[in-house]
Amino acid sequence: MKQKLARVLLIPLLALLFFMWAGSAGDGISTIRFQEIGKKAGVDHLHHTHVFKGKKGDVLSMFTSGGASAAVADYDNDGLDDLFVTDSDEGRTNRLYHNNGDGTFTDVTESAGVARGNDAHSIVSDALWFDYDNDGRVDLLVARFGTPLLYHNEGNGKFKDVTANSGLNKFGNTVAAIAFDYDNDGYLDLLFGNYFQAEDLTDLKTPNVLPNDLDNAINGGGVTLWHNNGKGRFEEVTKKAGLGHHTGWTLDVGHGDFNNDGYQDIYLACDYGTDRIFFNNGDGTFRDATEKAIGFDTKKGMNAEVADYDNDGWLDIYVTNITDEYMKECNMLWHNNGDGTFTDVSKETGTCDTLWGWGAKFGDFDNDGWQDLFAANGLRSAGKDNYIPVLVNMIIRPGINFSDINNWPNIGNMSWSGFQKKKLFHNLGTQSFKEIAAEAGVDNELDGRGVAIADFDNDGRLDIYQTNANQRALLYRNQTENAGNWLELKLVGSKSNRDAIGARVKVRAGSLSMIREVAGGNGYSSQSSTRLHFGLGHVGKIDSAEIRWPSGLVENVEVPINRITYIKEGKGVIKRPRP
Amino acid sequence: MTRFRVFPFLMALVACLLWLNAGDSAAETRFLEAVKALGVKDYPTALSNFEAALTADPDNIRYGSEYRQCVIQCKQYDRCISFFEKLVADSPTAANAFLNYGFAYVDKIPAAGAITQVILADKSLSLFTKSIELRPSWIAYYTRGNSYLFWPKIFNRTHLGVADLEEAMKMQKADAKRAYHVRTYVSLGDAYWKMDDLQKAKAVWREGLGQFPDNPLLKVRLSQEGDDLKALINSGYDPNRRVDTNLQDLWIKR
Repeated sequence: MKQKLARVLLIPLLALLFFMWAGSAGDGISTIRFQEIGKKAGVDHLHHTHVFKGKKGDVLSMFTSGGASAAVADYDNDGLDDLFVTDSDEGRTNRLYHNNGDGTFTDVTESAGVARGNDAHSIVSDALWFDYDNDGRVDLLVARFGTPLLYHNEGNGKFKDVTANSGLNKFGNTVAAIAFDYDNDGYLDLLFGNYFQAEDLTDLKTPNVLPNDLDNAINGGGVTLWHNNGKGRFEEVTKKAGLGHHTGWTLDVGHGDFNNDGYQDIYLACDYGTDRIFFNNGDGTFRDATEKAIGFDTKKGMNAEVADYDNDGWLDIYVTNITDEYMKECNMLWHNNGDGTFTDVSKETGTCDTLWGWGAKFGDFDNDGWQDLFAANGLRSAGKDNYIPVLVNMIIRPGINFSDINNWPNIGNMSWSGFQKKKLFHNLGTQSFKEIAAEAGVDNELDGRGVAIADFDNDGRLDIYQTNANQRALLYRNQTENAGNWLELKLVGSKSNRDAIGARVKVRAGSLSMIREVAGGNGYSSQSSTRLHFGLGHVGKIDSAEIRWPSGLVENVEVPINRITYIKEGKGVIKRPRP
Repeated sequence: MTRFRVFPFLMALVACLLWLNAGDSAAETRFLEAVKALGVKDYPTALSNFEAALTADPDNIRYGSEYRQCVIQCKQYDRCISFFEKLVADSPTAANAFLNYGFAYVDKIPAAGAITQVILADKSLSLFTKSIELRPSWIAYYTRGNSYLFWPKIFNRTHLGVADLEEAMKMQKADAKRAYHVRTYVSLGDAYWKMDDLQKAKAVWREGLGQFPDNPLLKVRLSQEGDDLKALINSGYDPNRRVDTNLQDLWIKR
C-alpha cells in the first residue's frame, strides 16, 4: 500500500521535475529580464505626431497618430546592428543611430544625410533597410504620407537621395513597407500598405477622407506593389500582380512562405475591416485566399508578424486588434494548419488581449527554443477625460456619414485607450503563453507603436526597441540570466537577393526543430534585424542546419553555437564582410 | 320596426366577429405553416409564413419571437429588421412588434463588427423604449433593463438598467409568481454588482434563491467572490456571445 502510494506521488513529481528541466533555458532556470537603457544608450528619440492645421486638424492628427517607426540593420557592415528612427511632424528630423558596440549609439543623422522627410505635404510613417541593388550595403527607404524617399548607401557612412530616378514617384498615404523578392529574381521588391486613399491630407479637397464604415470599410488606400527591375528602378505592378482589388485601410503588411512552396506569400492587416491573405502563384501574381484561409473579419488589424511559434515547420501569423473595456475584438494568432488554412488560437494560447494593439514581435528572449512575443499598445494617453463616450455619441447618430471628417468630434486633451501596460508573452512550448511583462520589466505605459527586435550588443540575447507616438522611444537590453545556448546566422545572398530576405533556415538541435525566415520589415511600423536568432536551451550542438535560399538552392552548413556566423549562398560559412 | 333594426345590427356584429376570427385563424394557420417549414429547415417558406402571420397579427409576441428564431438560424438579420421596420410603420401602436423589432437588432449583434454592435445595441434600446411607452409591461422593462447591462461602465448606462429592473421587479411582485420572474433577480443583482454595490446584489440574489431555490444562475453567483464573480458576470454580458432572445418562457407553462 505504502509502495503504491509512493509510486502514485513519485510519478507526478518526476513529471513536474522533467517539465521544469525541459522548460528551463540553460543549465539553470532562466527568468526573462530587461533593463531600459534608451537614454543611456542615446537612442531615446522623441517622436512628434504631425500637427494638422485647420478646424479638423485635431481629428486628422488622431487618425495619423502612427509614424513612430524604427528600422534595424547593420548599415556599415561592422557587425553591429544600427537603428534608424522616424519622426512625423513638419520640419522634424529622422535619426540614424550608429551602434558603437559598447552599449551606446552615436547620432550620425547629419553626416549620413538621412534627416529629411517631413515637409509641408509629407509625413514620415515608416522606414525600411534593404539592399535594392545587391551591392552589399543596405539602402534606406523612408515611407511617407506623400511620396517615399529612397536613399542609396554610398558605403562611406553617407547616403544619397536617389528617389527621383527610382520610379517610386506615386503619391500614397503609405503606413507600412516591406521588402521581399516576390518573383525570386534576385532583386528585392517593395510592398506598401496604404491607409487613406491617395488624398493629400495636408490640403484636403474633400471632407470624405475617413472610413466609410467602421467595421467593413472599403475606401482605404489598399496596397502598392513595386517590382525591382535590377537597374535601380521600380515599376508599379499592383494590378498586374492581382492586388489591385484590395481597397481596405491597410495598417501593416507581412510576408512569409506560408505554404512552403518556395514563394513568398503576403498578409495584410487592415483597420476597419477584414484582413487579407494572398498566396503567391509563382508566376508574378497572387491569389486572394482570404475566405478559405482565414475568413473575413471586421476587426481593426494593426500588425502582421510572422513566425513559427510552435515549431511545427509552418509559419504562423500574429495580428493585433482592439480589445478594451468598450470593444472586445481579441487579437488573432493564426496557427498555420499546413493545408492552406489557418485557425485563430489567440484565446487558447492566452495571446488574445493586448488592449489597443500596435506592433508585436516574436523573439526567443530566454533562448529556450520557443519564440516569445512582445506586444506594444496604447493609443493616446492625455487628460483624465475619455474620448470614447464622445465618439460613441457620434457613432450612434442615425444616418451619420463616418467618412466626413466634419462629423468627427475633436479629441482635444482627452485620452483614448491610453496608459496601457505592454505585454510580454513567454512561450511555454505547450501551445500556451504566460504574460510576464511586469516581472520582465517591460510593462511601460507609453503609447507604443513599433517594436524592433535585435541583438544590439551581440551577446546572444535579443533586445527590444519600442517606439512611441509623441513620446520617447525605449531600448530594453536583455539581461536574462541563465539564458540558453544560441545561434545567430547572418545570411548573404549571391544568386538570391543580397539580404537573403525570404531565405529559410531549418535547425535541428537535440529535441528542437526550428525554422526561421529572413524577414523584410514584418510587424507594424518597425523592422527587426535580418540576422536570424535561434535559442537552443541546454542543447550543446547543432545536429543540422539547412538553408533554403530564395533562388531554390538548398545548402547544409555546420555552424558553431553561441556565436554569430555569416553564411554566403553557395559558399557556406564565411568571415564577416568588412565595411 | 325595432326587430328590423336589431336584426341587421346583430348580423353585422356576427359578420364582424367571424371576420375577426377568420383573421386570427388565418394568422394562426400561416404561423403553424411557418413552424412546420422551419422544422424541415425550409427557411424561405418559413420566413414568408411568419411574416404573413405577423402582418395579420402584428402585436403577437409569440409570432415575432418565433420568426426571429428562424431568422437567427438562416442568418437573415437584415430582412428581419426591414420587415419589422415596415410592420411598426403600418401598426404604430403594436407594443410587442416594437419589442420584437428591438430584439431583431439584438439578434444581429453577434454577427456584427465591434462598432456596428454599438449602433445595433443603441437602436434596440430606442425600440424597447417605444414599446414601454406604448404599453408598459414586465417583459419590456426587463428587456430594456437587461440590455443596459451590456454597455461597459464607461458609458454610464448601468443606473438606467437598475431603474428598469427595479420596475420589472415591482411589477412581478404584484403579479402571480411565474418561472421566468427569476430572470429579474439575476439581472437586478448583476446590475447592483455593476454599480459596485455587492451587498445589494447578494441580497437580491438571495431573495431570488428563496423564491426559486433550484436556480443555478443564482446559486453560482452566490458561491463566487472577487475575480471569479467578476469573470462570471462579465462573461454573461459579452456582446460577441449570442443572447437567448427566445421569449417562449412567456407562453410555455412549466
